[in-house]
Amino acid sequence: MSTNQPALPPTDGTAPAKCSKCERPMSTPLVCDFCHALNPSAVGVDYFSLMSLPQRFDLTEEEIHDRFVTLNRHTHPDFHAGESPEAQSLSLKMSATINDAYRVLSDPASRGDYLLELLGGASSAEEKSVPEGFLDTMMMMQEEIADATAEGNTEELQRIREVLQTQHDGLMRRTAGLFADYEQAAACDYTRDDLLKELRRQLNAVSYVTKLISQTR
Amino acid sequence: MIPATAGDGQTAMGDRLILGIDLGTTNSLAAYMTEGGPVLIRDSSGEALVPSVLAFGADGSVTVGAEARAHAVENPLTTIYSVKRLMGRGIDDLQDAAAKLAYKLTAGPHGTVCVEVNGRRHTPQELSAMVLREVRRRSEDVLGREITEAVITVPAYFDDSQRQATRDAGRIAGLNVRRIVNEPTAAALAYGLDHASDSTIAVYDLGGGTFDVSVLKVTGGVFEVLATHGDTALGGDDFDHELVALITGEVRRQFGQELSFPPSTRQALRNFAEATKIRLSDEDRASVDVDLGSGRRFARTITRDEFERLIAPWIDHTLEHCRMAMGDAGLSPRDIDEVVMVGGSTRVPLVRRRVEEYFGRRCYTAINPEHVVALGAGVQGGILAGLRRDTLLLDVIPLSLGIETMGGAMGKLIMRNSTVPCQAGETFTTYADGQTAVDINVLQGERELARDCRSLGKFKLTGIPPMPAGFPRIHVTFLVDANGILNVSAREQRSGKAASVQITPAHGLTAEEVDRMVKDSFAHAFDDMTEHQLIDLRNESNRVLSAIEKALTEVGSVLSDEQRTSLNEAVAELKVKMEEDDPDALYDAMSAANDATAPLTGAQMDKVLRQTVKGRKLEEFEDDDPQRQEG
Repeated sequence: MSTNQPALPPTDGTAPAKCSKCERPMSTPLVCDFCHALNPSAVGVDYFSLMSLPQRFDLTEEEIHDRFVTLNRHTHPDFHAGESPEAQSLSLKMSATINDAYRVLSDPASRGDYLLELLGGASSAEEKSVPEGFLDTMMMMQEEIADATAEGNTEELQRIREVLQTQHDGLMRRTAGLFADYEQAAACDYTRDDLLKELRRQLNAVSYVTKLISQTR
Repeated sequence: MIPATAGDGQTAMGDRLILGIDLGTTNSLAAYMTEGGPVLIRDSSGEALVPSVLAFGADGSVTVGAEARAHAVENPLTTIYSVKRLMGRGIDDLQDAAAKLAYKLTAGPHGTVCVEVNGRRHTPQELSAMVLREVRRRSEDVLGREITEAVITVPAYFDDSQRQATRDAGRIAGLNVRRIVNEPTAAALAYGLDHASDSTIAVYDLGGGTFDVSVLKVTGGVFEVLATHGDTALGGDDFDHELVALITGEVRRQFGQELSFPPSTRQALRNFAEATKIRLSDEDRASVDVDLGSGRRFARTITRDEFERLIAPWIDHTLEHCRMAMGDAGLSPRDIDEVVMVGGSTRVPLVRRRVEEYFGRRCYTAINPEHVVALGAGVQGGILAGLRRDTLLLDVIPLSLGIETMGGAMGKLIMRNSTVPCQAGETFTTYADGQTAVDINVLQGERELARDCRSLGKFKLTGIPPMPAGFPRIHVTFLVDANGILNVSAREQRSGKAASVQITPAHGLTAEEVDRMVKDSFAHAFDDMTEHQLIDLRNESNRVLSAIEKALTEVGSVLSDEQRTSLNEAVAELKVKMEEDDPDALYDAMSAANDATAPLTGAQMDKVLRQTVKGRKLEEFEDDDPQRQEG
């Protein structure tokens, strides 16, 4: 069975060294790659460690999806159906946690939010500020959406959606840049704090734009 | 994969057999996993489909399947069909459906619905259990072994109540339901076994009473559902109803608006409409000729064009769901590599044409659309039995889950199309000093207001330690398992004490009610067995009686007066016991009568033997070879 599994990518060292059951090396804290024994203490670690992914923003959709599938091949309740009720309940919980981790990490905006808080930044509930000038633009866009919706002008709505999408993509590019700067600024806490604050503002703007985009549909 | 017929030498793999059952609105069927792939359970004539129809006899007996359907016209009030449309629904949800059904719906406990037959009320769960029991019995006959474990399929768009109702039906039928699987996903599984290459597929599943569309990504044995949409009250039944409405409308115009249709006529029209629909799949026109009695006759021709105009709005509706599913998956029709057609109603040419137009490609119909779901359920049974580790199924929850928040809003906790299993947590507190219980209204649906969503029921958290108002922190975990069914647990975080959760389902049965029905079904199983035994014994007794009569006329003269008296007494006693309902007493009486005929039987044997010997030549008699005689 394990011969069918794809090779596991190297990890950042958050995984425990050995499986407590078969003593073989583990590539994820969740489950043994060889004997499928589940590790109950793994539930509760952060989503990056859980998925054995490096704690960074710059991840591709493919690598996150790969981990999601590989881990589910071990933990999914289908593969623990004949085991003890405890093992079944653990597999259910782990699989649910992996699915949740995948949902959060696979979407760049929510991955940014999650990583920001993990790095000690404020949550969107604690800090609601947005980049300067952003709100004025958004108020204008909101009015345009309201007018176009009232007129039933789908072409205009389509145009507004494209403008907003461009805004959104720009904000995400800046977010990626700021996270990269954060990694480079390892030595300077002061710079890092500033970067986290700026990231908060960018990500708040992203969620604002996303909401407006959904209003154009 | 060529689905083979059971009984041709294939055996189920391993000791553990988990039967895959497609519990359909119109037909039900089963399959199981073998080394060569999934195999359908077929009866001796090769038929895999068991009509999901129940006929209740005046004596309390229940017939399931083709025979029950055959008598629907004679017994419209006691023939129950389309039970799936009632599963997990409340009486208030079903006002429209009730008008179309020939049998009688009544309110059950706490807002549920019941079917009333011969003055007795049956829950949809119990009725479905009867269908499941029949499928199980047939499978046991074919496989020659007991079956206790099953995977049962449901429409992907079934909500929590409908899934629970299906699982409860399985339990009442004596099955350990190992998994509730979504029908389009099961179909994809059966399809995917034949197609190794990676692809993005859409499954269009139009059954007798339900419609689903699921979009899946299939890569290297991983079946990942991206989005699903549907309508659990839209199916081929609706096409039939359009034809019935057309005919009844014209009949009234011709013979008078006041004309009423007795249940048997309505049932006949329903059968008629179904036959017409099927005929119009192959032919351009079908003639309708209805004898309404009293010399009134209605005859006309229905063309395919006319039929297609009637059903077009229903198909538009299904395509709207396709658009929504594609939107949720973030795909456009040209991203789809294959469209798999599932369900008997996809045989209607207009359905195929419109679906092909929407996706811009030909539909895949190589696996019988009525078999593909059961085959996939068989595969899933194999996965759960540990036979396949190379296939991974990642399904989704079709509707968002949430709770009623202040002011009657729906607070979503788990979004639709989330991969299952999935979970979410929420912390609650108390609003009065010393409060030890909190009520939560759990909702399912996409609307913003609680009253527009479906309530799954009231969850009462009890056992909260008494504390000042607002002080307890009760963390509630909502966990949706791989069946798409919600499990709720709660813990008060300050004390660390687990709170217990009592659930009053809004449209389903409580755990106690299901337990009682499981017990009842055993009790009824006993009744059924007794009934069966009595029928067999009465038949056997009749044979004994006629044999005695024959013997008396042939060789009665050999009996002594004493023998004759005891034989007469035994016969009289047997006739009495045949009128009663005690199988043991009947058996004893039958044995006694048999014993009393011993002198007659002996005399008959002598007579037969003498005749035989007389009729044959001596050399033949000596030559007799027992083996040759057999041949």
